[in-house]
Formats: sequence, C-alpha cells, structure tokens
Amino acid sequence: MEHKKDIPVKENGMPPRSFFFLSGEATPERVHWIRDAVLPPAGRAANISSPRYSIYLTGEALISLADSRNAEYWNSIMQEAGVDVIADGEEIRLHGLAGHLHQQYPRLFIPGEGKTGEELSFWHTLVVYLMGGDPVIGKAGFLLCQGPYMSRTPVYMLRFLKSAVEQGIRPEIYAYLDGVHAAHLDQKPSEFENIGEGISSLSIIAGETEGEGWFGACSRCATARGYFIKDPDTGTCRPSSCIPAIRVRALKEILERFNAFHPILAHCCGGTLPSEKRMHDSPYPVLNILISCSPYMSEWTFGGLSMAVATAMGGMETRVLFIEQGVYALCGDHTVFPEDRVFNVQEMIMATMDIPMLRYAVYTPSLEERGLHASSNFSAILGITPERLGNFLFGQAEGITFPQSRMMIF
Amino acid sequence: MDMLEIVDFTDLTCTNLMIKLKILLSKQVKGESLKFYATREQVDNTCSQFASQNYCVHWAQAGENQYLVQMKR
Repeated sequence: MEHKKDIPVKENGMPPRSFFFLSGEATPERVHWIRDAVLPPAGRAANISSPRYSIYLTGEALISLADSRNAEYWNSIMQEAGVDVIADGEEIRLHGLAGHLHQQYPRLFIPGEGKTGEELSFWHTLVVYLMGGDPVIGKAGFLLCQGPYMSRTPVYMLRFLKSAVEQGIRPEIYAYLDGVHAAHLDQKPSEFENIGEGISSLSIIAGETEGEGWFGACSRCATARGYFIKDPDTGTCRPSSCIPAIRVRALKEILERFNAFHPILAHCCGGTLPSEKRMHDSPYPVLNILISCSPYMSEWTFGGLSMAVATAMGGMETRVLFIEQGVYALCGDHTVFPEDRVFNVQEMIMATMDIPMLRYAVYTPSLEERGLHASSNFSAILGITPERLGNFLFGQAEGITFPQSRMMIF
Repeated sequence: MDMLEIVDFTDLTCTNLMIKLKILLSKQVKGESLKFYATREQVDNTCSQFASQNYCVHWAQAGENQYLVQMKR
C-alpha cells in the first residue's frame, strides 16, 4: 500500500491528536458512537502512545450536553484522561446552559464565556488547536453544505475563518449542496448576520493581510440552484446572481484543495492533525465520509457519495461509512423509475465499488439497533464494530495506517 | 437505455457524468462500446480518468466543444 506509514506517534513522542467538531444535532445515538470511537477498546488501557482526543462543541451540539439521555456517554467521555471536551461559551450563554453544565461536567472547558475581558474565544482556541503551532500549513478551510438563515452553520464558518485570518492564516471556503446559497448576491436579512457581506468582508480582510482567500462553490450544486447558467450563444456557463468573492468551480477543482494538509471543518466533522513529517512523506490525507441520513429525503446522501466518488477518482483514499439513518441506503431493493428523477443510491454504490481508492463500510450497531440487515448485494461491504470505529475514523483499518485523516458527516 | 444510441451528456457536470458512466458501464454488455457526446471539460476531467481505471477510452471532436466519446471495459 503506497500510503502505509509507521505512524501515528509523532517524532517528539507526543501521541497523535484527533478531534471532533460538532455544530449540528448530536443525538444520543451519535454521542454513543463518538464515545465508542474515543474510548480505548475493552481491555486496553490508555498509554503514552494512545491518541488524544479533543471534542469541540458549538451550536445545537451543545444541547446534547444538557440532555439527560446523553449524560452517561458524556460522563464516560469526560472521565477519560486523554479526552478534552471544549464548548463554545458564547453559544452556551445564548442557549442559557452555563449553570447547568458547570455543575454537571466540571471537566468541561468553556472558552469565550465572557468572564474576563481578556479571555480567548472558542474559535480562537479551536484555530490554535487545529494549526498545532505549525506555520507551514498556512491555511484553513470550511466545507459549507448548508445555506444561510435556515442554518447557523454559515455563521460558525465565518467565526472560524475570521479567527483564522486574525491569526495570519488564509481562509478557504468550499460551498457545496445548499452551501452555495451563501454566494447569493444582494442578501438582506432583517434580523440576522448578513452572510454574503460576511464572506465579502472576509475576502477583503484576507486580501489585506495574508494574500487572497480561496472561495469556491461547486458548479453542479450552483447549476441546480440557478447560480450557474448556460449562455446559449457560447454554450459555456457563467455565474448568475453571485457575490464576486465566491467563484463557481468544478467539484474536482474544489476537491483538489483537499490534497493539502490544512484543517478543513464542516458542520459536523473530525480528523487527525498532520505533523510536519507527514506533510513531507505522504501524498494525500485519507477522507472518511459518514453517510448519516436516509437516502432520498435530502441531498445529503447523494452529495456525500458524489464527493466520495470524485475524491477517489482523483486519487485520494476515500472511505464511506454508512451510519445512523444512513444504513437505509444498504437495505432492501431500491426501485427507481425514470420519472422519479433521482439517482438510485444502491445502483450508485454498486457501480462504484470497483474504484480502487474507494471503500464502503457500515457501522454494524446502526443496523442492529434498527433491526436491519444489509441487502445481499452489499455483503462484501466491510462491517465496522464499536471496537474498530476509532481506528477506522482516525487512521487505521485492516492494519493500514494513514498519515492524516479527515472525517465529514453528511 | 440502448447502449448503441449516442447520448448527449454535454449538460451534465463532471461528477454527475462520472457516476452515470459508472452505472451505465456496469450494465454494459461485454465488448460493446458506450458512445456519448461530451464537452472538452468533461473529456479532460472525467473521461480521461476512466482511461487510468482499466477502461478503453477514445474520443474525437464532433463539433464546437463537442466530442464523441467511446468507452468500454
């Protein structure tokens, strides 16, 4: 295997560092499997080379801390010496959760609570962590899959990237699926932060400080939503009603940005941090795409699979894990008629199983808890148990290790 | 879909084309070519990738920014 490396221990003897960043809903099922991923497998105690995990929570994910259904999972996660949980103080204040959380989780770290004027924000803390003190990385990206106003994800994206720019880091935006709505011209929300203006300002600030940012929107998603239209005279496409700061680009071009080792956040994501050694030794990070939604009610499954196929065909090791409601993609025999005008997700999976850099897997507890079995067409798909989940997500599977991993939850 | 029909895929984006081709090729009768029209961008970004994935791929210009692509396993 070309990517095989004898990591994950860094040269300075520090254990590898892995993280989750969650801003969307963290259901009990999700918090449960996150616990499975971060706790060492049964019978193996944490040691100096065990991974260290940091779990960053903002937005709706914070509510999971107050939900008694999650208390057992969060308590066991926070009792682990190798795990830090960091919660966004500004959003905790917004949700009115501060008193409750301090009492229930004394080990919870809450930057940005506003107790002192000199306190660093959650976002500053996150950027410092992700950059790992490595000036070589130089940029930070955000995969934006949700549109403004219906979702606060674009707000979190701007906070993250503004904080990155303040620390001398170039910002990159990859607008995908409904995220391309962030590029709409002439946004004028009456009550909310103007996302279009925020992106334009970020572009100007980045240009003034650290060289231009790189802001791209997927051409497929932009075409579907009317932001990229064909000129009947020339036959070529041009942007329509888009802010100048964001350029419509082929998905392939956007995903080529993923070949570099900079941190890329999404609304729910994770990964391992790169080391300087890894940047020199290995070709690309590995990308893990978690399909967590049912197949046809939204564009999440198609979008996740499309991205996986594109990255794998582009030469990046890519793994798709069906988890939570995403396991329904593998169950039954989907029948799609031409008038349905959707891709048959099962056909899509079967047709792409021979791509060398693409591997499909399913989290077996998600099937078991629903009383489901994968269709016989998918019997070759790798089953991931709770004991193997951490290795699968953060660097290893079937004895193969990778220099850096990224995880995006769709 | 009749595999002998020349389909016009020029309106598809590269990723959609890639997935559609994978599905069509998986249903294709052995030895038979899939023929379709593609743009220069599609040929460069998508069709050429199949050549490195053990598919036999040929294309020839058929019009302004239109290429007739033949592909088989």
